[in-house]
Amino acid sequence: MVAPARAPATPATPTTPTPAEHGGPLEPVYVWDLVVRLSHWAIVLSMLVLTFTGIDIARPFLHGGSGKAGFTTGYVRVIHFYAAQVFSLAVLARLVWMFTGPRRSDWRQFIPASAQRRRDMIGTLKFYLMLRPSPPPATGHNPMAGLMYLGVFGLYVLMILTGFALYSVSAYTSYMHGWQFLLGVFHGAQGARWLHHVTMWVLLCFAVQHFASALLTARVEKNGTLDSIFTGYKFLPKDRRKDDE
Amino acid sequence: MRAGADDAFRRELTARGVTRRDFMGFCSGVAALLALPRSAVGQIADALATKPKPVLVWLEFQDCCGNSESFLRASKPTAADVILDLLSVDYHETIMAAAGHQAEAALEKAITDHKGQYIVVVEGSIPTGADGAYCTIGGKSALQIARTVCRDALAVISAGTCAAFGGLPAASPNPTGALSVGDAVPGIRTLINLPACPVNAENLTAVIAYFITFGKWPATDRLGRPLFAYGKTIHDNCERRAHFDAGQYVEQFGDAGHRIGYCLYKMGCKGPVTSQNCPNIRWNEGTNWPIGCGHPCIGCAEPAFWDKMTPFYAHLTGVPGFGTAADIDKIGLYATAGVAAAMTTHGLVQLGRKAYDKRKAAAAKPTEAKPTESKAVAAKAADEPADKPTAGGAS
Amino acid sequence: MTHIVVDPVTRIEGHLRIEAEVDGGVVKDAWSSSTMFRGIEIILQGRDPRDAWAFTQRICGVCTTVHAIASIRAVEDAIGAVPPPNARVLRNLIMAAQCVQDHVIHFYHLHALDWVDVVSALSADPAATATLAQSLSDWPESSPTYFAGVKARLKAFVDRGQLGPFGNAYWGHPAYRLPPEANLMAVAHYLAALEWQRDFIKLHAVLGGKNPHLQSFLVGGMATPVDPSSPAALNIHTIAVLQKLIAGARAFVSKVYIPDLLAVASFYKDWAGIGAGVGNYLVYGEYPLTDGANAPRYLPGGVIRGRDLSKVEPFAPEKITEQVTHSWYDYSGGDAAALHPSVGETRPHYTGPKPPYERLDTNAKYSWLKSPRYDGAPMEVGPLARMLVAYASGHAQVKGLVDGALAKLGVGPEALFSTLGRVAARGLETQLLVDKLGDWVDELAGNMDKGDLRIHDSDRWDPSSWPKDCAGAGFHEAPRGALGHWVHVKGGKIAGYQCVVPSTWNAGPRDGQQQPGPYEAALLGTPVADPEQPLEVLRTVHSFDPCMACGVHVVDPKGRELARVQVR
Repeated sequence: MVAPARAPATPATPTTPTPAEHGGPLEPVYVWDLVVRLSHWAIVLSMLVLTFTGIDIARPFLHGGSGKAGFTTGYVRVIHFYAAQVFSLAVLARLVWMFTGPRRSDWRQFIPASAQRRRDMIGTLKFYLMLRPSPPPATGHNPMAGLMYLGVFGLYVLMILTGFALYSVSAYTSYMHGWQFLLGVFHGAQGARWLHHVTMWVLLCFAVQHFASALLTARVEKNGTLDSIFTGYKFLPKDRRKDDE
Repeated sequence: MRAGADDAFRRELTARGVTRRDFMGFCSGVAALLALPRSAVGQIADALATKPKPVLVWLEFQDCCGNSESFLRASKPTAADVILDLLSVDYHETIMAAAGHQAEAALEKAITDHKGQYIVVVEGSIPTGADGAYCTIGGKSALQIARTVCRDALAVISAGTCAAFGGLPAASPNPTGALSVGDAVPGIRTLINLPACPVNAENLTAVIAYFITFGKWPATDRLGRPLFAYGKTIHDNCERRAHFDAGQYVEQFGDAGHRIGYCLYKMGCKGPVTSQNCPNIRWNEGTNWPIGCGHPCIGCAEPAFWDKMTPFYAHLTGVPGFGTAADIDKIGLYATAGVAAAMTTHGLVQLGRKAYDKRKAAAAKPTEAKPTESKAVAAKAADEPADKPTAGGAS
Repeated sequence: MTHIVVDPVTRIEGHLRIEAEVDGGVVKDAWSSSTMFRGIEIILQGRDPRDAWAFTQRICGVCTTVHAIASIRAVEDAIGAVPPPNARVLRNLIMAAQCVQDHVIHFYHLHALDWVDVVSALSADPAATATLAQSLSDWPESSPTYFAGVKARLKAFVDRGQLGPFGNAYWGHPAYRLPPEANLMAVAHYLAALEWQRDFIKLHAVLGGKNPHLQSFLVGGMATPVDPSSPAALNIHTIAVLQKLIAGARAFVSKVYIPDLLAVASFYKDWAGIGAGVGNYLVYGEYPLTDGANAPRYLPGGVIRGRDLSKVEPFAPEKITEQVTHSWYDYSGGDAAALHPSVGETRPHYTGPKPPYERLDTNAKYSWLKSPRYDGAPMEVGPLARMLVAYASGHAQVKGLVDGALAKLGVGPEALFSTLGRVAARGLETQLLVDKLGDWVDELAGNMDKGDLRIHDSDRWDPSSWPKDCAGAGFHEAPRGALGHWVHVKGGKIAGYQCVVPSTWNAGPRDGQQQPGPYEAALLGTPVADPEQPLEVLRTVHSFDPCMACGVHVVDPKGRELARVQVR
């Protein structure tokens, strides 16, 4: 599992950050590898498309217009299905990467398996509750965030499975028909539809929170969090605790 | 078809006022309904003509008699009588001449004389509450009767959603502890579920004719529903599907789109999540069907539809705990907006505090090059002296 | 004294049990018990009132429109929705067609076998049967060949040894009095009516998508679009289809049903003196001819007491109460109370014997039906009540039909208060309505012509347009009689629901004053030749056209009863 850290093949030389905010000199650390970043953006973009088209599928607002021949909902559904394929593959890739990728993409980032991470999790929780002034150090995801992402990935999987169940209803001759067994699990197509719809809103809430947090962290901590999901690099104090790396 | 049987049967049909052509037309109809090849028509006719009349017992429990009434609308004129004559309906409370003890005796005789050979059609759910007193016939509870009659049956056909899935009596909060036949009587040899409220008579007669012809029951899905009738959704066969794909919807009952026959999806139509052949065979000899008369599908052939498909005029059921009429999208929008507002407030407070701290620090130690509040506070946090602000947060 | 039990009473809708004491060949006392309960009003609690019609519709699949109609009227009354004229006309058509089809099915398929001996028909002469049929009407299917065919078919059926639904019946009973030819004619028409009902009810499929359980009802109107030029709406073609179906029904009713009814009745005139019952008649009134709450009705409402046709009291909804002295329910204020449906409460509490049982304790509680009373008196409802109130109110068409039938049978109006009177009134009402149906189709066509295509009151569709807390009542004349629904809507949801149903009026048990219900009263004095084969009991009970699933209902606006109901 301990793949040698993929040394940055000199990516666009990270600009030296102003060290003013931190106690010591900073150094660029390659945190998010290419697979993590690509799957992240694939998920973001497909989710945007899926949400827009999904809302239109649930309560259509795009209209063919009276008298005009069109294929509005038809196209919306087709786009939804293609975006769903992108989303499903991205989620799948990221899940596989959790077991095959480098350590900062590892499943241990999400499940507080080690004692240290459990301690840090409590520390982070205390920080969030303003019971301590600063969070424990974390290079990748902090243990609390990791656990939240675990839940989010759970919802992704629920979204994919309910979507597959709904798709299987009309996939009479395709291999997707095999997913029909899921209809029994979700109490029929209407049950799957309900879960799919409600989960969308939960994920939308998460997305808003996630985006706002990223903005905030980047602004407050000035460690390059926002940039990191584009470049892969965060800027962290050289003298930071390195036991999680 | 064997010549002798053919002749005898033809004579009998003629005596019944049924022409050979009527009869073959009926058989073709059955073959078409079951998607069988043309060559099967002869086989069906042969079977109908020569096999002895199977005994059928029709039980009514927590029902409304709607399935019996539907059965009376079974179509294919004149030959439908052949179906009735073809089966020996030895017990059916709604149509039988005998009553009381004589009726009970008829049932007893049918299931004793034809043990393991008779077919049972059940209409209505079976209550288990109050020791079965919520439905008694001849002093016996529905459960007692169902267990006695169904266990020795060749096959049991649950006609209608109440018998197949519990239906209306089993709708929340299920005051009488009503169960479907399959749940109330475990161990039935062959159970065919024909849900819908009521069952479409064409599906019922087709299943029986198929059995008489081939000596076996049609292929079923995970819920015991024959695929020929429940293998596709209403939406996929709907005559208004083109309007759905085109994005042309009824917005209000009686509007221009409603009059021209646009898709009823936005009025809460459950066609996309309901499997039945309504659009194909329609109702009352193909006269019409609910969507054809401008009303959305209510999903009556699906399990628990009284709870899952309601409110009937909405896309989805509400969120439990927020009431049935609650609008999921409203709740979702409020929740999302709430998160956005909370995060914005949080961010503003954070930034504000930081700016304030910075100004204060700058004012206090104007000469120090790198004043950091974090160092100052970190020093106080004795248990974690090594802490530095790093990639914390939520990313 | 012999105690007889008829359970199941067959050829009815639902589950009915009759117990009776027979002494000296006549019924001395009788008890009517309904033995099935579903709790639909409990299930309705907290649901969207716009959905309620679909739930209540499933109270009964025979009179499959009536509880839907009463429900949408009750909700409309509560929230203030006003259905447009087209909706009224469509509902009239649906209701009247229901009545016509239901009455014919009742006469031929549910009731006829009490009067017609199927086995005796085997000894009929087809030629003589043809002569008899042709003397009664000019219905074309009356040739000797036709009747010979029916006879051959019947013979083949009997010879095969599997009598199916005709097995084990009372064939050969001394109370069967028709000559073989009349029996054969009736059997032929039994089969003909089976075909006819299937054809005629396509009217419901056209207007409601399907039958049973039509699906075009909406709170505030109807879902069936009206547009003469649209292929997806009720259009000029539909008008033609409806007129054709109605013409066929008129022919069948006037040339088959009514002649058969009069012919059979002429052999059973003594039944004009049997089965009188309580002698009080209640009608809510039906078929509004114009719009608005106080529109005149084609069949007027009213109350007749003590068989006094000289006086018709106006119907006053507040005089309706229900009692549970002999019903398997409790009242919080004691079982002696008589509650109006709008404040009605019910907690099912079964105290009868544990199944399987032989006899009910009729001194205690013995039915799932309550005892509805009007101004404290038991009331008979149904076609007889409607014809009597219309007759006594001077309704021209009804007077003509009733007087004509009485003259043909050579009996006076007092004959109407009987088992036979009920059978006759049902037929006359069928004729009245089948004659009226065409007018409503014309009215619909007229509206189309004027460009009035409205079918629905959309202003009151969204729950935000409703009062926060409101209540309403919906009244309807179902084929079996006066039907009322009461609904309480609070915060857009059902807070209370109550139905008082024709079969509850007619089949209900004794009340707190030990006054028997109409079935029980009508059975007193009914002759029973053979207690082992109580055919005569069935005749009187069937003359009411029992519909038991309708009769049983409960509600508790507070939902308290749930704690009491034993679920498993």
